[in-house]
Amino acid sequence: MENENMLKIESVTKLYGYGILGLKKFKALDSVSMNVNLERPKIAVLAGETGSGKTTLLRIIMGIVKPEIGRVLYRGYDIHKLKGSTARWYRKEVQPIFQDPYEAFNPLRRVDSYFYDTVTNICGIKDKDEIMYRIDESLRFVGLSLDRVSGKYPHEFSGGELQRISIARALLTTPRILLADEPVSMLDATLRVGILNILKDLKEKLNMIIIYVTHDLSTAYYVGDDISVMYRGTLVEHGPISKVYQEPRHPYTSALLNSVLEPDPSLRDKYPAVKPSSLELKEFLIAGCRYANRCPYAKEICWTTLPPYIDVDGVNVRCWKHLDYKL
Amino acid sequence: MPKNILSVENLNGGYEVFVGRRRVFVHAVDDVTFSLHNNEVLGVAGESGCGKSTLAKMIYGAIIPPLLVKGGSISITTKGGEVLNINKLSIDEVRRKIWWIEISYIPQNSMNVLNPLKRIKDQFIDVFRYHGIKMDKTETVEHLRDTLTTLGLPPEVINAYPHQLSGGMRQRVVIALSLVFNPRIILADEPTTAVDVVTQRTILSLLKEWRENNKSSLVLISHDMSVHAYMDDRIAIMYAGNVVELGSSLDIFKEPLHPYTRALIESLIRKGDKSIRKGLAGQPPDLINPPPGCRFHPRCPYVMNICRSEEPVTTFLDNDRYVRCWLYTSSR
Repeated sequence: MENENMLKIESVTKLYGYGILGLKKFKALDSVSMNVNLERPKIAVLAGETGSGKTTLLRIIMGIVKPEIGRVLYRGYDIHKLKGSTARWYRKEVQPIFQDPYEAFNPLRRVDSYFYDTVTNICGIKDKDEIMYRIDESLRFVGLSLDRVSGKYPHEFSGGELQRISIARALLTTPRILLADEPVSMLDATLRVGILNILKDLKEKLNMIIIYVTHDLSTAYYVGDDISVMYRGTLVEHGPISKVYQEPRHPYTSALLNSVLEPDPSLRDKYPAVKPSSLELKEFLIAGCRYANRCPYAKEICWTTLPPYIDVDGVNVRCWKHLDYKL
Repeated sequence: MPKNILSVENLNGGYEVFVGRRRVFVHAVDDVTFSLHNNEVLGVAGESGCGKSTLAKMIYGAIIPPLLVKGGSISITTKGGEVLNINKLSIDEVRRKIWWIEISYIPQNSMNVLNPLKRIKDQFIDVFRYHGIKMDKTETVEHLRDTLTTLGLPPEVINAYPHQLSGGMRQRVVIALSLVFNPRIILADEPTTAVDVVTQRTILSLLKEWRENNKSSLVLISHDMSVHAYMDDRIAIMYAGNVVELGSSLDIFKEPLHPYTRALIESLIRKGDKSIRKGLAGQPPDLINPPPGCRFHPRCPYVMNICRSEEPVTTFLDNDRYVRCWLYTSSR
């Protein structure tokens, strides 16, 4: 069956309430679809600003948020309907790491206790020597060791070390997919590269699939193979990262790429002007393309109808511009 | 020769904290000397925990225990031409004479500093009242509208509560608040770390434009080197409480001298670049117990014997560029 080795996200829509009682709803995610082949190791980047729905999508894949419409299939199983042992199996297959490593660990709990819990509860290993071996092995992969970690509390580590530790913890279950939600945005430049190189190693040596969520397009290009750009709950562009960077097809992608600051003072005066984002909610409620409000090419049809996906030279784009503004 | 409006000399200080019963001193700022020229942007860069924010607090005069200043001086030339020594003034005097009027501080995480129970305009009115400026309500509202529109905010913001605004908008409100009295020095501590790229660009351009129009000086503290590249005239690189290198931003990015600066510049990822980069191995030192000699020596690839025992001296290459490293003292 072709579903066997795919993670399929099928037109997922998630509604959130707003207003005083939260009775009025807006679409935090609007029919987002995505397919990931589990046989091909890669780093898939999910890019967008704050409030673009990238974290919501990640949480849906994790199974902690349930979509109103649509479903997520992992090897043919609907992950929001899993129970008992299959639910535990899915926990092993997909592991997350989070943005702020200091908040991911309880400050009053020793760091190594998370490792023992994960190994015994999720992996179900009871033999003491094997537990130690598994923990040490995964810590060594990120450049640490059990001796350095055992008995210590989170504040005794630097941010970079803690982020390595949370990657090592995720590796214990030998997952197929690692969901990384802004893993380096809280870290300093010199430590950032170390973590990104680990992500690359995971892909190359352990054949893992990493979904890397970020708003930082320079680190995205450094690690990524393909990219999905999100704006206000819709997926606006998806394709191989080098193609998208060379020639962004969607106006939002090019705006996003243009606002990346480069570490080079001589480029300072060459950045084009940006239009600040206005009220978020208004944009979520636009029936057509959510970017219409800020788009320099917007025409009437953009406000009323959401454009379909169009394949432009191997890149999927959702923009009326490429359809000459008509169906 | 540009005029200095703020000069910091041999500033020493840190936090006195108790670990159990033991009293320990975290030496967060160690022998820092620099001056801020009129009408310039000075960046302070470095990893987290290197003392950037502590330095900002000291310059701002917010020296409240456990923060202590052990030595050195910070002098500021006021709008009236008076020279004041900030660390000799009492906290009340600093509040009346310096804050908001001479120096404004845009704190880290500035989107969360607004009082959640007050409308935006009332937060401004509080500030006016504190500084004894009497304005009637319509006049204030008028003035506010102008300030907020220059920062690209819609006028209805003044009646909103903080939670009704997005993070980027709140940040712009805080910036507007810190600029109301046209201060001559703005201290911005990580003004854009919590926001995404597009908002970051907007906020930085607004700050830049405002500063150029008002001929003020900006001290920009950030660990993000691309922010420094975009904004700064000069950059001071800090490592473990020391300013290890200071120079014009073009020089620092083109020709970094200190081994730490070099590693920092080399670790930067540029857009559209996939070549493998190396980070810096090792961990930043513990400031309670800093390594002897040069504080960078355990991680330095060019470490010599002298680095392990003696603190490096400051070598001036020209008036506005210095480096604190033994590699450059012997040859000159």
